[in-house]
Amino acid sequence: MEALALKLMSAVPALAGVPLWAMTLLVMVVVAVILLVFALTFGGLGSYVLRKVAGDIQVRIGPNRVGPYGLLQFLADGVKLIMKEDIIPAKADRFLFALAPYLVFVGSFAAFVVVPFGVGLIASDLNIGVYYVMAVTSLVVIGVLMAGWASNNKWALLGGMRAVAQIVSYEIPVGMALLPAVLIAGSLSLQDIVRSQGGLLGIFGWNLFHNPFTFFSFFLYFTAAQAETNQTPFDLPEAESELVSGYNVEYSGIRYAFFFLAEFGDMFVVAALASACFLGGWHVPFFRAETLPGAWGNLLSLGAFLVKAFGIVLVMMWVRWTLPRLRVDQLMRMSWKYLVPLTFVNLLGVSLWLLVFRGKGIPQLIASIF
Amino acid sequence: MNGDGMGLREYINDIVEAVVTTAKGMRITARYGVDAKEEVTQQYPEVRREPEERFRGFLRNDIARCTSCTMCVKVCPVDCISLESVRGADKKMVLVSYDINIGRCMYCGLCVEVCPPKSLTHTAGYEMAMFERGEMVLHFVQEEGGEIKARVAKQVAEAAAKAAEAAKAAEAAKAAEAAKPAEAAKPVGLPAANPAPKEDLSAEAPGGSKADPEKKA
Amino acid sequence: MTRPTEALHTQEMLINMGPQHPSTHGVLRVLLRTDGEVVVNARPDIGYLHRGLEKIGERVTYAQFMPFTDRLDYLAGMNCNCAWAWAVEKLAGIEVPERAEYIRVIVSELNRISSHLIAFGSFTADMGAFTPFLYSIREREVVNDLFEMVCGNRLTYNYARVGGVSADLPQGFLEKTKEFLDYFEPKIDEYNNLISYNKIFVHRLANVAVISAKDAVGYGLTGPNLRGSGVKFDLRKDEPYSVYPKLEFDVCVGTGERGALGDCFDRYMVRINEMRQSIRILRQAVAQIPEGPVMAKVPRLFKPAAGEVYFRSECPRGETGFYIISDGTTNPSRLKIRTGSFVTMNIFETVTKGLMIADIVAVIGSFDIILPEIDR
Repeated sequence: MEALALKLMSAVPALAGVPLWAMTLLVMVVVAVILLVFALTFGGLGSYVLRKVAGDIQVRIGPNRVGPYGLLQFLADGVKLIMKEDIIPAKADRFLFALAPYLVFVGSFAAFVVVPFGVGLIASDLNIGVYYVMAVTSLVVIGVLMAGWASNNKWALLGGMRAVAQIVSYEIPVGMALLPAVLIAGSLSLQDIVRSQGGLLGIFGWNLFHNPFTFFSFFLYFTAAQAETNQTPFDLPEAESELVSGYNVEYSGIRYAFFFLAEFGDMFVVAALASACFLGGWHVPFFRAETLPGAWGNLLSLGAFLVKAFGIVLVMMWVRWTLPRLRVDQLMRMSWKYLVPLTFVNLLGVSLWLLVFRGKGIPQLIASIF
Repeated sequence: MNGDGMGLREYINDIVEAVVTTAKGMRITARYGVDAKEEVTQQYPEVRREPEERFRGFLRNDIARCTSCTMCVKVCPVDCISLESVRGADKKMVLVSYDINIGRCMYCGLCVEVCPPKSLTHTAGYEMAMFERGEMVLHFVQEEGGEIKARVAKQVAEAAAKAAEAAKAAEAAKAAEAAKPAEAAKPVGLPAANPAPKEDLSAEAPGGSKADPEKKA
Repeated sequence: MTRPTEALHTQEMLINMGPQHPSTHGVLRVLLRTDGEVVVNARPDIGYLHRGLEKIGERVTYAQFMPFTDRLDYLAGMNCNCAWAWAVEKLAGIEVPERAEYIRVIVSELNRISSHLIAFGSFTADMGAFTPFLYSIREREVVNDLFEMVCGNRLTYNYARVGGVSADLPQGFLEKTKEFLDYFEPKIDEYNNLISYNKIFVHRLANVAVISAKDAVGYGLTGPNLRGSGVKFDLRKDEPYSVYPKLEFDVCVGTGERGALGDCFDRYMVRINEMRQSIRILRQAVAQIPEGPVMAKVPRLFKPAAGEVYFRSECPRGETGFYIISDGTTNPSRLKIRTGSFVTMNIFETVTKGLMIADIVAVIGSFDIILPEIDR
């Protein structure tokens, strides 16, 4: 941020008099606002796409009344949610009840900071990127439990309890499934991880095809992440047909909207991580986007990244509209008896592979033969 | 994901089965998701499904043909039909009011089945909206009940007067000229003209009442 | 389960599941006492939809009660219509033309398919998969179209009459029925591929709420719930009525193929397989239906001789029986309706002990209860 501020100050002479800290702050705010707008737009359009996908799969049409093809449906929904009465149940813990949705939203939004959107397009390329994402998304748990507890509703409490158990359990396989990418890149920074998958090997430079273990790792991550974002088949915290709506059952209006946006934010973060760690992030297959002059490289890589991320989001929705829901004990069993051991075995496999083949993946090995 | 003491083979089988069955399901949903022809939704207000011939929509009574026999009232299991009639000058019943509480009606069609002159029928109408429950009553006789009663009473009185007159005349005629039957035929012909105004009224009534639900729809 | 200790005090939680709850199939209220997610006790509280149908039956004539039987089980109105007609005919000793009997069997079996479709669809929706529900609705719409063609209504049919049916089949009905059967038969395999054998779905249902054959009989379960426990009992076969003896079909029973015999999955599969059998019955009935009148000569206001009769028929949700006491007037003197769902609620408390909250939903779905039948 400071570097960007310095660059700006040197480029625009009128800004030369502004103190560095103020300029840095300004840049931070602008970047944050851009990310926020992106998150909100994604939440809105994501809800539209989700419903459209649901409609298509369920031989229906989906939203088609507001705007062309119902594209403005999310605006109508947003306006509705804002206009709605904000109800706080009489016996709720008012402070926690009011705080919870923001905590959940902050938890999912904060992860956007390290999402590598493109060449140089990252709010902050933390050297602990992956770790940071894991840490801040865990904040969601506290918000959800808070919401469940403060609602003073038994269904909400059950939902909150389920959410905590679920997210805490699935944190481990998610982390373990991401580690192979970290091992290959030798860095926790997401930009470094993306860079490590470049090269003219095209899609074979991706970690997905690095070795068989990373291939499985991707699917393990996808499964575990689906659970971490409370998507069907792991949507137990808000299991519509069991817990009515789970932890957010008492929420209405704008507070509900925050839960809603957080859910879509989580979805995007998961998809972004998957694409950055396994699908080559912003790399365009068979092309070096970073060599393009000016902003074109940035834009092209941004496009490539978004296409990959949205593709994963679409698959998540597809899964969501296909599968039934697990039971809570099966969910735990799946994490501890299947995902955790498998991810550990995978991690071991990747480590051994890297040791044996000196960090080279199958494509590189094949390429080195010729 | 079942037993605790499972072997490695079961463990792997479990995973494989989960993946395979999920993939199967996802193939089906994908096929429906991609194939736009599979969409079955009809855009209701714009696209309307033609109701079948036997469709049991709102009831409609063609009161020109109604004989006020009250069969429909008797057969209705929920008492949603109310009917009032008075005896007209020609001894036939004249409808004073024929109301169907459409909010109570369960569209069973028993009344239509029993209707002897087949004046009561189901229409294809099924759309109706109103603000109050009281509005959910279909009136099939448009004219004020009191007016009909008064008119019929007048007609009956007139007919009675005429009949009495005729009878008197006939008696007088009989007394005066026993061999002139032409005069006696006159009072018989007169009441036959009575139904004329009744038919006028009934011809417009069903149209008017029918227009109501349609307009609202 | 946590055992209360002096240091850590735990408490059972009392939760009201319903009467407004997405998966209680109406207005069933279940009083859940839970220890966390584990259900200690689940007590169904019924009566929120009580309309006094039996008392209404005493007030209206035999013919007038017909539309009320639509409301007995709104997902299987035709079956209830026919059951009532058969009961009154048995009471009054009325002979029904054969064509009318065939028509009744055809509409009953069609309705069985549409009712089982809803059972299947809502069950999967309860399990969290919403898509199969819409597929099942799509197929059910075709059946509804057929019913609209034959009787004019899509839900409350009021089609059967004492002595026959209200109207003959319309032109093209049998062809359309055949068309539907050809279209529908492969869809069952699609359902099986999509959800029935899905790993998650199987795991949610297998070994959950196992009812032994002895318990099933002892608690008076009927229909698919009884057959799910492996008891081969179907009124269409074991106490044949109408033209069922002339039609060939198998009685589907649970096999315990994915878990213990008599678990939720067996009850679910019985319904899926019964749809196949209904298709079989329909194909035969459509081929065999004779020409002729569809209504016997029955006086409009008939007075059956004083006496009593109990007639039971196989409805989609089990045995629907009408017990009628006649005192020789136009109205029944006393009417008792025995329905499958109501009796099924007896065993609910027993089988749900120790399950999880999510399983309660599975149990309700696997019993395929319908509230108007329970409360009448």
